[in-house]
Amino acid sequence: MAAEPAMKLIDLKKDIGKKQIIKGLTFDINPGEVFGFLGPNGAGKTTTIRMMVGLMKISEGDVVIKGSSIKSNYKDAIRHVGAIVENPEMYPFMSGWKNLLHYARMMSGITEERIKEVVSLVGLEKAIHEKAGRYSLGMRQRLGIAQALLHRPSVLILDEPTNGLDPHGIREIRQYIRSLAEKENVAVIVSSHLLSEIEMMCDRIGIIKNGELVAIETVKGLTKTDEDLIHIEAVPLDRANELLRQTLQLEPTVEEENIKLTVKREEIPSIVKCLVEGQVDVFGVQVQRSTLEDKFLDVIGENAIE
Amino acid sequence: MSNFFKLVYNEQVKLYARKSTWIMFGILAAIILGVAILGKTVGNVDEAQYGDDWRQQLEQENAEIAEGSSEEEVANHWGIQENNYYLDNDIKPLEYDAWQFVVENVMLSALLSLFTIIVAAGIIAHEFRWGTVKLLLIRPVARTKILFAKYASVLLFAFTSLVFLLVFSWITGAIFFGVNGANPLLVIQNQNEYTQIAAWAEMGRSYGLQLINLVMMATFAFMISSIFRNSGLAIGFAIFLMMAGNSIIGFFMQYDWAKYILFANTNLEQYFRGTPLIEGMTLSFSIGVLIVYYVIFMVLSWLFFTKRDVAGH
Repeated sequence: MAAEPAMKLIDLKKDIGKKQIIKGLTFDINPGEVFGFLGPNGAGKTTTIRMMVGLMKISEGDVVIKGSSIKSNYKDAIRHVGAIVENPEMYPFMSGWKNLLHYARMMSGITEERIKEVVSLVGLEKAIHEKAGRYSLGMRQRLGIAQALLHRPSVLILDEPTNGLDPHGIREIRQYIRSLAEKENVAVIVSSHLLSEIEMMCDRIGIIKNGELVAIETVKGLTKTDEDLIHIEAVPLDRANELLRQTLQLEPTVEEENIKLTVKREEIPSIVKCLVEGQVDVFGVQVQRSTLEDKFLDVIGENAIE
Repeated sequence: MSNFFKLVYNEQVKLYARKSTWIMFGILAAIILGVAILGKTVGNVDEAQYGDDWRQQLEQENAEIAEGSSEEEVANHWGIQENNYYLDNDIKPLEYDAWQFVVENVMLSALLSLFTIIVAAGIIAHEFRWGTVKLLLIRPVARTKILFAKYASVLLFAFTSLVFLLVFSWITGAIFFGVNGANPLLVIQNQNEYTQIAAWAEMGRSYGLQLINLVMMATFAFMISSIFRNSGLAIGFAIFLMMAGNSIIGFFMQYDWAKYILFANTNLEQYFRGTPLIEGMTLSFSIGVLIVYYVIFMVLSWLFFTKRDVAGH
């Protein structure tokens, strides 16, 4: 039995003036899942997130969080959400600790122990009593995540969470997000315009372009592509080219000292065999995986920003 | 309901975590001290010491004033009028003291209006400028509640600063000028006449009336802050109107509707001391006008804060 989705977007639309910014988004995010919300800048990611958390009015459609509509039952819906929208902006004149206390007072049942726990989760123990205005972007990002986690939300929305983090910090956040999803069954929505930063932490990725969802793919499906590009280093090249065209009906291209062709993985042994049997010396076969990035660019088109 | 107090508490924490708030209190304290020092040293305070022969002293003062003045000038001279009141009613003039200092310092409430406007203008607009509004409004708390917590926090600041002005003035006055008992009777001018009134009553009346003015200006600045989400604009607008208020009334005085202008009604002192600004205005009329303005300010603040999208920069 499939669990009830943690968050449902139902034909979500947003009009600003006469222009439709978001053109009907429908998808579910399940508990324990990390969902990547990917799109170029200006595609409508932040607008969608703002509607998910009630900062912007929904023109049409709805967002349902754990069974409660953000439109008609705001308080019950938002209770389950922790979020960072755009940059994690904090009160610069207060310490990180006081910033957290401030948000803790707005929700019920958050103990001092919980705040301490969250602080250590994001690794801010040392700096927590310094003024937030002195924090680096990476530290603010951590504090932002801390405030989003205070009330143990079922849905965690992080807008560009890796912004401003160094590679080490990105890895930590990634591991942390994964463990939240896997151990605490939190549904995590991570937005980004850089696929390389989120592909390693997401289970599914939804790609948005100009306010429309152009693709939703599970990450496994995206990486285990049907066809790989392979480079074959062989001598003589002409003979190899001819063999492949005639015996295997393939269409390789010759480039410098290599033959390039796109084939299914299971075809590779037969290609090598064919070449060897045809008296061609094979010096190497290299498989170049098509990355998610290529796929992403394919899907949204190179020049996505209108 | 404790929920609401937590929100107000949050707002107060944010307010007093900022240096600028403390600077305001510092300025206020410095000015009160300055006024006291000036009064003591330069001596624009009536320093006359009245002994048992205070009647003769007053007669002599009158004679000194009368010397070289025309009869008409003498009749209208406030000093003589005041002295005559003491003589006629057989009241011994009190020495200048903390109570009178406090009563006179009610004029500093103009400064409080300024500070309250600054606080009211910033309390919404700053959240937008800092970007913190996005984290503030994604809590299981209705926007209306947050708005009213912010408004309550502004009123609390206005009230706190007014109490600060009162208490700090009294303490300063007590140190510099001494105290004449717990609740002495003060002689004050009231519509070209002199009367006696208890110090506490006079303080309550004048500071209370100032509080009304304070609340109206704060509410106005709060509304501008909510509508435009820009503290500079709200401060500028409110201060301009506060300063230009009297000119605006003067300019439109000849029209019948001038009495409906906010600033014609904010100074309720006009019904207690002096004459109403425009003929036909009464205390209840002004209170009615103030209530209408107040409701409009609050409704607009509420509409813009709760109904509008929190969009990106």
